[in-house]
Amino acid sequence: MNNTTGTTEIIGATEAAEAAEAAGTTGAKALISLDVNPCKMCMPMGVVTAAYGIEGNMVVLHGSQGCATYIRRHMATHYNEPIDIASSALTEQGTVYGGAKNLERALDNFIRLYNPFAITVATTCLAETIGEDVNGILDSWREAHPQTTVQMIPVISPGYGGTQFEGHFAFLAALLKNVEMNSAPTGRVNIVCGPMSPADVRWLKQLVCQLGIDAIIVPDCSQALDGQHTEVYSRVHEGGTRIADVLQMAGSKHTIEIAKYLPEKLSPGALLKREYNVPYTRLNLPVGLRDIDALVNALKPFATLANVEHAELKLERGRYLDAMIDSHKYNALGRAVVFGEPDFVYSVARMCAEQGIMPVLVATASKCPALYADLEAELAPLAESMLVEKWRVIDEADFATIEELSVSLGANVLIGSSDARRIAKALDIPLVRAAFPIHDHMGGQRVRTIGYEGSQALIDRITNALIDQCEGSFREKLKAKYLVQPDTAFAVETTSRCLSNPDASLPVRTARQYLSDSVKRLCKHPTHEHPCFSKRCATKSTRIHLPVAPKCNITCNYCLRKYDCPNESRPGVSSVVLSPPQALKRYLDFKQQTGKVAIVGIAGPGDALANFDNTKETLRLIREVDKDVGFCLSTNGLLLARYAHTLAELEVSHVTVTMNAIDPAIGARICPWVSLDNLVYTGEAAAAVLLANQIEGIKALVSLGIIVKVNTVYIKGVNDAHVESVAQMAHRLGASVQNLMRMVSVKGSVFENYPQVDKPTLLEARVACSKHLSQMRHCRQCRADAAGLLGKDLLVRSLAERRTVVFQ
Amino acid sequence: MVQSILKERESSIIEAGSEHAVGCAVKNKDLVCNQGSAAGAVSQKACVFCGARVVLNPITDAFHIIHGPIGCSSYTWDIRGSLSSGSELYRHSFSTDMQETDIIFGGEKKLAQAIDEAVATYSPKLIFVYATCIVGVIGDDVEAVCRQAEQRHVARNGGMGLRVIPVMAPGFSGHKAIGYKLAGDAIMRFIGTKPYPRNKAHGINILGDFNLAGETWIVRSYLENLRIEVLGSLTGDSSSESLLCAREARLNVVQCAGSSINLAEKMQDILGIPYIRVSFYGIEDTVDSIMRIAQTLAAQTPGADMRGLVSRAEQFCLRESKRLNDALEPYRTRLVGNRAAIYVGGGFKAISLIRQFRELDMDTVMVGTQTGRPEDYEVIRALVSPGCIVLDDANPAELEKFMVEKGADILVGGVKERPLAYKLGVAFCDHNHERKYPLAGFVGVENFAQEINRSVNSPVWRYANKRQS
Repeated sequence: MNNTTGTTEIIGATEAAEAAEAAGTTGAKALISLDVNPCKMCMPMGVVTAAYGIEGNMVVLHGSQGCATYIRRHMATHYNEPIDIASSALTEQGTVYGGAKNLERALDNFIRLYNPFAITVATTCLAETIGEDVNGILDSWREAHPQTTVQMIPVISPGYGGTQFEGHFAFLAALLKNVEMNSAPTGRVNIVCGPMSPADVRWLKQLVCQLGIDAIIVPDCSQALDGQHTEVYSRVHEGGTRIADVLQMAGSKHTIEIAKYLPEKLSPGALLKREYNVPYTRLNLPVGLRDIDALVNALKPFATLANVEHAELKLERGRYLDAMIDSHKYNALGRAVVFGEPDFVYSVARMCAEQGIMPVLVATASKCPALYADLEAELAPLAESMLVEKWRVIDEADFATIEELSVSLGANVLIGSSDARRIAKALDIPLVRAAFPIHDHMGGQRVRTIGYEGSQALIDRITNALIDQCEGSFREKLKAKYLVQPDTAFAVETTSRCLSNPDASLPVRTARQYLSDSVKRLCKHPTHEHPCFSKRCATKSTRIHLPVAPKCNITCNYCLRKYDCPNESRPGVSSVVLSPPQALKRYLDFKQQTGKVAIVGIAGPGDALANFDNTKETLRLIREVDKDVGFCLSTNGLLLARYAHTLAELEVSHVTVTMNAIDPAIGARICPWVSLDNLVYTGEAAAAVLLANQIEGIKALVSLGIIVKVNTVYIKGVNDAHVESVAQMAHRLGASVQNLMRMVSVKGSVFENYPQVDKPTLLEARVACSKHLSQMRHCRQCRADAAGLLGKDLLVRSLAERRTVVFQ
Repeated sequence: MVQSILKERESSIIEAGSEHAVGCAVKNKDLVCNQGSAAGAVSQKACVFCGARVVLNPITDAFHIIHGPIGCSSYTWDIRGSLSSGSELYRHSFSTDMQETDIIFGGEKKLAQAIDEAVATYSPKLIFVYATCIVGVIGDDVEAVCRQAEQRHVARNGGMGLRVIPVMAPGFSGHKAIGYKLAGDAIMRFIGTKPYPRNKAHGINILGDFNLAGETWIVRSYLENLRIEVLGSLTGDSSSESLLCAREARLNVVQCAGSSINLAEKMQDILGIPYIRVSFYGIEDTVDSIMRIAQTLAAQTPGADMRGLVSRAEQFCLRESKRLNDALEPYRTRLVGNRAAIYVGGGFKAISLIRQFRELDMDTVMVGTQTGRPEDYEVIRALVSPGCIVLDDANPAELEKFMVEKGADILVGGVKERPLAYKLGVAFCDHNHERKYPLAGFVGVENFAQEINRSVNSPVWRYANKRQS
């Protein structure tokens, strides 16, 4: 048999491990001894879920009370069903002297309260470590209760023995070993299932019904874990495989085992073959066309119903194929991360590959060295044809590793349990919830993955997640990329008109349909409310600088970014750096203290745009709580062209760009180092890159109606003769005002020994510049965490912040 | 025929107004509580580890390493809705993921290496190492590993070093409340036992609030508006630094007594910080708590400002309770006569809930807790109407029996109880550590009423099967 039929041979573990190692797939975990955010659960979890698939069978966990409670909670939120699991509630005494008494009492009490048909007694880490002899305890319990009819199923399931995947099969193996099998031939067909949702098992039952096969499906959780609302509540779950049917598995004519990575020693199929000579076929989870076909083909020889019944299946298959073709182009953009149990990730990765979705990362937390070799044949050719360079298949993974690789491999969709929701949020990648546990959405019990319709439902969800990513942002993205900015003169005219008459509706607006609401609001936010842009209100309007932007992407020779010096007042200084939520808190505290706040500014201590995520998030958070406050930020302009549109969307009304030179030769003396998109420029190249971006950026801002101030640091002997040219250029670009400021000599900076300009000279220079651009004459050269009125800063550090760690 | 009440559970269940335990002829005035759970009874309680983990979890910049097999780490990953104003480190789940070989050869080396990896990757200042069930059994010397790790990394954090504090919390070593105590001990170990000079006029700590849905922030804002400085919150939205500030407080106010009373007692005995028990659930208890905090502080340091504090508190409470009284009116008319069942973690919360239901003109017909103390149950029995069932460490069979018998219309509880309530056709209010809406303070009173109304008066019950009562 070969892979294309969906049936696989069992590959020797060592061989596969060697192959995987050769391919560099082992040792993928980010840290060796520390598991960061587990992508797996423990063995008893698997025992319990599988045990729910047997009628009237309930579980006692032999161990601490917590194991039962945790598993109950974990399952209750996924299945939305009452999950009653008893515990032997082992105590210190039981741990030291043996837990027989606890377990016996647990059985007595459990039977009194529930009287189940069967009890699965599963061990835990603790019971196995202290060496409990569960069989012996059960024997003596039976001796003491000769009348009992309760079927006991002891399972060895230490939490460290494997994951829930192994636990599931450990239960099935124990089940077959502990019930008295009946090998009288029945002509029935056994179907052994791996972990599946109730909805998936329902499909399987419907399939055998369609084909007219008398099947024993084990386990069958379709009713117990997706129950009904009935008139009478039953403490013992209803439905599931009857033990009377389980016994007959020994007399069936064939076993189909849907479990690719099931260890041979736990295989019910192998056991039935060995002991009762029932032949068996091992299949993959029927997810995706080939593996569903494989199951249908494996079942067909046992079908008793005529071909007319198969017609419905054929239709289902036809629709699935049709849908695959319909969505293939969207899917070709898919770069999926598939994570979870080995069988799940293997089959879902194969399904993705069929549809042209490239699984860039397939990760399981189980030990599964064969996974890489098994998937290579699928993934390598697809990667080749889709021009995907990097993809990985890993086992023993944790979520920290999955997160890291999701970034480096460029994933755009996650497929698995809801445990990846934090990654989805952090990376802004959609998560398709398709496996246990699903804690944050409803319907975990009804998630469908298998069968033509189940796979169809899953693939639709994946495709739609991909479509949403494109649909949700293509207008903005394409606009930002391709729309040619209107010419400068036109824009300047617009801006000045807008400023002189804030409320007038401008005729040119029709040509600016794309202007966001923010700009409309800007017109209601006249400059005279901004303390820096209007001297008149410098003494009235309150502003707050929020120091959320520590990094800078250029080096200026007069600057030294320094923190934690509350006595120094100049740009680039701040006591703390705040996270956006902290900044929001500071803003709210400040507002409460001062009443009205006119302007929120982001002025470093680094560059507002070099820390754009922080800046953006801060402004967004504040806008959520305050619709009226104006937004302002200062930047060196390097990233301005890139973010100008976003700034407009964020409703930034004022931007200050520090522009010290328009001649790269002069610029290089002030700013000799620039880092843009991981490339470093030095000397004149640096100054030229900076200048080009400042020009484009200011043009873009002005065209969006954002008011621009240009700050120019007057440095004696460097740009003193050049500042008027800067003013001229700034005016041509559409800036509204220039702030010619004296350089503050900072100890430790390159210019620390440069002379400071005296006041008359500076005033003279301002007069010269004012021929081109109006001048700001009341600048107080504020700190990056200034707050209050200009020059009269208040202390706003809240109690919570005082305890904040300042710098690492 | 199945039973609903086990013999060994009888002494933990009492019908109010009666001196007998339920189904028991012998007089039994005191409710038996604070015990290990009955084996096989399907207790709703978790274990020692769980108790320690939930109390320490909200320390946001601490590194919580679970030394043991993976399950305990998997099931406690980010399960609390505790919010943070700073670090998000606490929302990760770290584990040594012990394997069979570690059980055989011991896990000390792996733990030491895991700590080193954590230090190298995340630069934590504070690490808690939780030793789970088997660690104690196989004899790992976790204390020594932690001590050595502290010594090894003494130069970290700019010479400040880091603290690595073991929390020996094998699940079998008692019950959940023992875990609470261990958490308190771990905190004491971190903040030290040296009493600090108290120079803050009104500085207090909030204990036993975990900032679920921002509740610590809400309570803090009330107190700060009254110009009472909140120095520390243990452990909601706390950090390794803010915990240290807590030493300077003049008073501890204990919200969730179940989880934090031990810590409060230790802080009183060792650091000399007195405590009072408070509850910010419901109008009555919130007002009472704010007033008692103000009065206690005023009595502690008689001074010019103190009279001001009490009258400020009075005005604030008066204004808020008046506003809320009006706001609750529409809910009262829609909820009057409905019967409530309560099954929550701690005793004080249960007491507040009984009062809260009364504020909504609803009667409580069943009330139970996981970790209530004898004195809590005394108050509960005095508060409820005769016939109300009072029970400790209930299980699903008992909850089912009494909800049906007493005709409860809504159950207040945690996640595990929700599906049972729904199956029985009973409405449900999540009052657990996962909720996303605050129930504390004045704002919580309104949220609570809304939440109750949303479920009790949902049209779905019209279609559901009516249970016999």
